[in-house]
Amino acid sequence: MESRVRNHLLQVQAASTSLSLLDTSQPHTFLKPAKKINEGHDVPAFLTSRAYSDIGVFIMQLNIAMCPRKSSDPGGTRTWQLDEIDVLSEPVQQLRELLQKIDSIIEEAPPDTGPRRFGNVSFRKWYEILESRVQELLEAHLPRAVLDVSATPDGTSVLEELTPYLLGGFGSAQRLDYGTGHELSFLAFLGCIWKLGGFSTEKSQDGEFERSLVLGVIEPYLRVVRRLILTYTLEPAGSHGVWGLDDHSFLPYILGSAQYCPAISEGDAMPVEGALPSAPNPGDIAKKNVVDRERQHNMYFSAVGFINDVKTGPFWEHSPILFDISGVRSGWGKINKGMIKMYNAEVLSKFPVVQHFPFGYLFSWEQDPNAPAVSASVHTASQPTNHPPSMNATTSRPSQTTRAPWADSKRGGEGPTPAPWAQKQQAPSQTGLPPTRAPWATSGSGQLPVRGERTGGMPPPPAALDGPTKVPW
Amino acid sequence: MSDLDRYKLHPATFLELKLRMNYQHRAIAQLRACRPIPEAQVRELCHKARELLIEEGNVVTVTAPVTICGDIHGQFHDLMELFRVGGDVPDTNYLFMGDFVDRGFYSLESFLLLLCLKVRYPDRMTLIRGNHESRQITTVYGFYDECLRKYGSANVWRYCCEVFDYLALGAIVLGASTSLGESKGLMPEKSSSTQPDDEGIEIELLNHTGGVIDRFPRGQARNGARSSPSTKSSSSPAAKTGPPGTAASGYSRGSVGNTSGAVLCVHGGLSPLIDGIDKIRLLDRKQEVPHDGAMCDLLWSDPDEIDGWGLSPRGAGFLFGADIVKVFNHANDLSMIARAHQLVMEGFKEMFDNSIVTVWSAPNYCYRCGNIAAILELSEDGSGESMLARSNGEVNRSDGGVMKPSDRVLLAGPARRYRVFQAAPQDSRGMPAKKPVADYFL
Repeated sequence: MESRVRNHLLQVQAASTSLSLLDTSQPHTFLKPAKKINEGHDVPAFLTSRAYSDIGVFIMQLNIAMCPRKSSDPGGTRTWQLDEIDVLSEPVQQLRELLQKIDSIIEEAPPDTGPRRFGNVSFRKWYEILESRVQELLEAHLPRAVLDVSATPDGTSVLEELTPYLLGGFGSAQRLDYGTGHELSFLAFLGCIWKLGGFSTEKSQDGEFERSLVLGVIEPYLRVVRRLILTYTLEPAGSHGVWGLDDHSFLPYILGSAQYCPAISEGDAMPVEGALPSAPNPGDIAKKNVVDRERQHNMYFSAVGFINDVKTGPFWEHSPILFDISGVRSGWGKINKGMIKMYNAEVLSKFPVVQHFPFGYLFSWEQDPNAPAVSASVHTASQPTNHPPSMNATTSRPSQTTRAPWADSKRGGEGPTPAPWAQKQQAPSQTGLPPTRAPWATSGSGQLPVRGERTGGMPPPPAALDGPTKVPW
Repeated sequence: MSDLDRYKLHPATFLELKLRMNYQHRAIAQLRACRPIPEAQVRELCHKARELLIEEGNVVTVTAPVTICGDIHGQFHDLMELFRVGGDVPDTNYLFMGDFVDRGFYSLESFLLLLCLKVRYPDRMTLIRGNHESRQITTVYGFYDECLRKYGSANVWRYCCEVFDYLALGAIVLGASTSLGESKGLMPEKSSSTQPDDEGIEIELLNHTGGVIDRFPRGQARNGARSSPSTKSSSSPAAKTGPPGTAASGYSRGSVGNTSGAVLCVHGGLSPLIDGIDKIRLLDRKQEVPHDGAMCDLLWSDPDEIDGWGLSPRGAGFLFGADIVKVFNHANDLSMIARAHQLVMEGFKEMFDNSIVTVWSAPNYCYRCGNIAAILELSEDGSGESMLARSNGEVNRSDGGVMKPSDRVLLAGPARRYRVFQAAPQDSRGMPAKKPVADYFL
């Protein structure tokens, strides 16, 4: 059952190798994206939704595009590196500019120098500025094909559907955190543009559009995110500490390992083992000099380099999951395949991560009729619910025998622990708190009630408050 | 006179006792070296610990002197640094306010060492439960994965979780002095004669070698009128309103005698369902941490600059304001609440006119936060009047909720000695072999 869920994403890919385009000559019923995953039991429905299938297709097409190609040129292999970017298409160039403008908002919201607990409250200011400008930014930088797509009369505009995905890609202003759920939101933003023919309405030649997207938009996006993390010390709720792959990101490990896969010919499937002869050894991620060299070219090493920038101490100790993966002997192809399985299980199948993902017309909650049935898996069975069965001393969790023992996704850094069953508010459009509030400060107002029995308002004050012991203040 | 004679033990019992001590001694030595002990030993240790903890009340009574510590989160080498700075067990009495496990690489070694010390020196080591001492949280935040990685099965995780269910929910420290006394940690360097007498010091801030960073005389720490004499340059006295992390402004009326009010120690904070410490004593704690209710709140809540109660962004527990703390402290004869649960860059943070303090003991949290850590020492009242034997049961100090008007005074805060320290040096740790990867990569 476990493997069925895991392979689901891979199976979907066989049927369709690229995200299908909408017929933009027809009007469409865009929707304001809405939260649908409210408790753990909603995750299986997500895994058979059209949105899930589209996310899978999109990641797989980006992934294979980054794989080196066999070539008749001298040298025999064509690779794509971060610092060797071909001419970028106009839509990609425009999105780069959009990201540059988003990045430069940091200058307008310098980190607060006052007392703080950890995350910097100025991130809320940064986020407010982004929210206030997002409309004009999108109108200026989205491809015409997207902006001109017709919606049903009196319906929701395409921008109303796209904006939450973009805003959701830069962390939570309320919690001052960033994690893989936000990364997923930005990916969906790009997926929306793709579906609307924003990158091209023609068929991609052996992955050229996808590569342009990865090198021209996704890597620059990751750089903006890293700068945000450093500037505002984003304290992502839900850190697994050393027991997650990475504090913030997942996609660079997928796409970066693809860059080192053995070369394929057009039409070939993604390699599942082996490596490009010139690729560094996977074990080299623990060598600082190799990381400093390779991070210029490769997304995997770029992400590892960022870990080295922010963490002190032995690599094997602060990043044991990556350290163990670096011992894989069957090459980068094997690592790439593992990363995709792990992404499916630890990001897409995890309630705490996907609960915030909103669904609309383009990434639809509608069930995919072609999706294989998802039976209860260890992942779906162990999802938290609003009222999970209480665990007593003799109960162990159901997944313990089959679960990948040390793999766990991570939603971000080192903030306060959110309860895994908590229905927390993502609300990209609702930063909620005034900028002068302490980062951990939240009053009851504007919050989603967290527990059924307490949704009627604040709990009554203790009786003593009204009693004879009333205190002088 | 040998122990055998002194205690009139049967030779066989004595031998068994010796063996047991030996075994405990070995386990402690092995864990101090950061090496996990075999699964069978973990099982026995956890069994013993449970026998011990089951006898403790929900709120353990601890008598000063005691050193109060916050979150550890598996940062074993930093825990060793803590013991170096604060004094070793059993020379120093410790009270750890939970969150021993998750996120760090050595949750197992850290928790088992603390547990071993608890079993070996039950009266000198108090462990209370944090929100991470729970099955559901440890399966998400790392401890479960760590046990599986280190033992290849979840048995050890299960034994530890069974111990978690028996940990006390809080502790109450009695007999803390209003003046700083001798301490078992590294002693402060003798400071210049301009230092005020120890008698008048309410808060002392020491570095990891025991050097004085700052001292704050009583009243001043609360009133925050001006800079206290300190080892720092006097160039910016006006900006100074109290020790780092203190929200100094005040209401203190000083103290008569030198015993302070009691200090409640709890991992998270207060609960709207709990108006008195006796209510905590009535809870049925021997279970997994529930998703809501009083027990959950004690482990999950946070103080905040609000009035009354607020919903917590964590999705469990509540936020509570200064008014809540003051009413609670007053009603329960407390001078202060000590809690952990939130990272603070300076290691500790006093809030609400020094009525509550957050203590955080995991330096450079998660290898990247750049924070320092702190421990809080409360010294014993020299008068001896308030000395109580350590009690695991109830101490009847409740006034039944009825206070005479003359009782409406604020209790003097204990003198507080904070020692701050940074992460332990990391150069001496060897590189381990790579472990088998997750099955995604097979």
